Amino acid sequence: MSQSLKPYLTAVRASLTAAICLQDFSSQLVERHNRPEIEVDNSHDPELILNPMVIARNENEKILIEPSINSVRISIKIKQADEIEQILVHQFTRFLTSRAENFFILRRVPIKGYDISFLITNFHTEQMLKDKLVDFIIEFMEDVDKEISEMKLFLNARARVIAESFLIPFD
Amino acid sequence: MLHIEQNNLLLQNTLTERLYPSDPSANPKSLDRIVSDFDFTTFHVSTLSDRNLILISVYLRCWDDLVNYGVVNYLSNKYANFPSLTVLTGGEIEQGYNFSIVLDVKAAIEESEESKQELIEQLSLLKRHSMAAPFEQAFARYDELSKQYANSNTYSEEVQQELLNEPILVIKYRGIDESIYLKPSFDRVTVIFSTVFQDETDKIFGKVFLQEFMDARKRAVQTAPQVIYTHGSPPLDIQQVVHGGDNDNKGYVTFVLFPRHLVKGDKRDNCISHIELFRSYFHYHIKCAKAYMHSRMRFRVKEFLKILNRAKPENVVEKKTASGRRFDRS
Repeated sequence: MSQSLKPYLTAVRASLTAAICLQDFSSQLVERHNRPEIEVDNSHDPELILNPMVIARNENEKILIEPSINSVRISIKIKQADEIEQILVHQFTRFLTSRAENFFILRRVPIKGYDISFLITNFHTEQMLKDKLVDFIIEFMEDVDKEISEMKLFLNARARVIAESFLIPFD
Repeated sequence: MLHIEQNNLLLQNTLTERLYPSDPSANPKSLDRIVSDFDFTTFHVSTLSDRNLILISVYLRCWDDLVNYGVVNYLSNKYANFPSLTVLTGGEIEQGYNFSIVLDVKAAIEESEESKQELIEQLSLLKRHSMAAPFEQAFARYDELSKQYANSNTYSEEVQQELLNEPILVIKYRGIDESIYLKPSFDRVTVIFSTVFQDETDKIFGKVFLQEFMDARKRAVQTAPQVIYTHGSPPLDIQQVVHGGDNDNKGYVTFVLFPRHLVKGDKRDNCISHIELFRSYFHYHIKCAKAYMHSRMRFRVKEFLKILNRAKPENVVEKKTASGRRFDRS
């Protein structure tokens, strides 16, 4: 793990642990509704929304955590150095979001400006262990970077073999 | 499977079955097969009213272009060495196809083992041979030019102008957007492929691949043809023959074949067979890379799911002893 990645992940871990402190909360507007307050327009009851925070490693890698009384929305921007990484990240996130129903906490559509979003509600924390949820997010962030750069390396290596094996028979 | 085969396997098998019958005494069965190949090529293999005669026809999308470059002569010469083959001409050619050959199975079976194998081999290369005609012509033109300019100052303006006006051979083998352009000169032959990328991923993967094609010469294979890639607008050499507007998904790959690649004989044949398939090879490997990425992502997603599932407290499974009794922990 590189030197700057560790403090970044440590900060994310601490902030997530603090942010995922959720309780059951019925809607104040609509009777018998219980909805993730972060996802609804909250101009009428702003007291339910806490201050959002951004933790950034650099301008290309950051995470946005938006807590509220009964839900937290976490959006991650994955590093994309060039257009190959861009396309790989795009494919990868598409792959994940199309399987969102298995990933209980995954949001189908990411927040604008980010590549992938998670939504954790109090119902998730009631069923799952909070520490492990945080572990998952951290591990996800670590592995995604690794996977993307491995795939990129692989693509380059493959291209080299292909090109050489096409050009060698000419001689 | 790194390389794409030159010949058509299905055609080869069909003919082998015929020329090596399991029961030579039995009457041959009738046969009617349509074999599709890539680049919009279709073969039709069928028996005539006499079941010992097999009609082999081929359809190529770019036939009209090929005719201009002497494909009929080239193929007739190629197949003239086989006494059991008759090349059909004019109205005899099967409807809907461009070129037909009749194979006399009875005569062919009698021939020596070697010539039988050769016959099957050459017939299964029908597509390769058809596409080779313009290349042969361009290379022949290169021979002429290299003789003509052997002793002249090739840097003089008149010569440069003449070379510039050298006609370009165009093969629109996959329609107007994907064509091959051949330009002979006195010291090289330039082969330019235009190709279209279907989606953004293809385009970017293609760029990575082509970058390696360009760099291969500097690194590993110094004797390889030079490869140049231009995206969007066509290279200067062929600007006057390229029609259709600029397309953002279109790219041009230029191969510069040097005299060492054009040595007459096996080397030249090998060079033609190889370069013909460049576009198919290139796109095939883009698709392969994509497929690999997909399987890899699928695997990674599964791993993530496992990590997430760890967050769920395990359901307490009722434990039983070997004999099936309940086991209560106190």
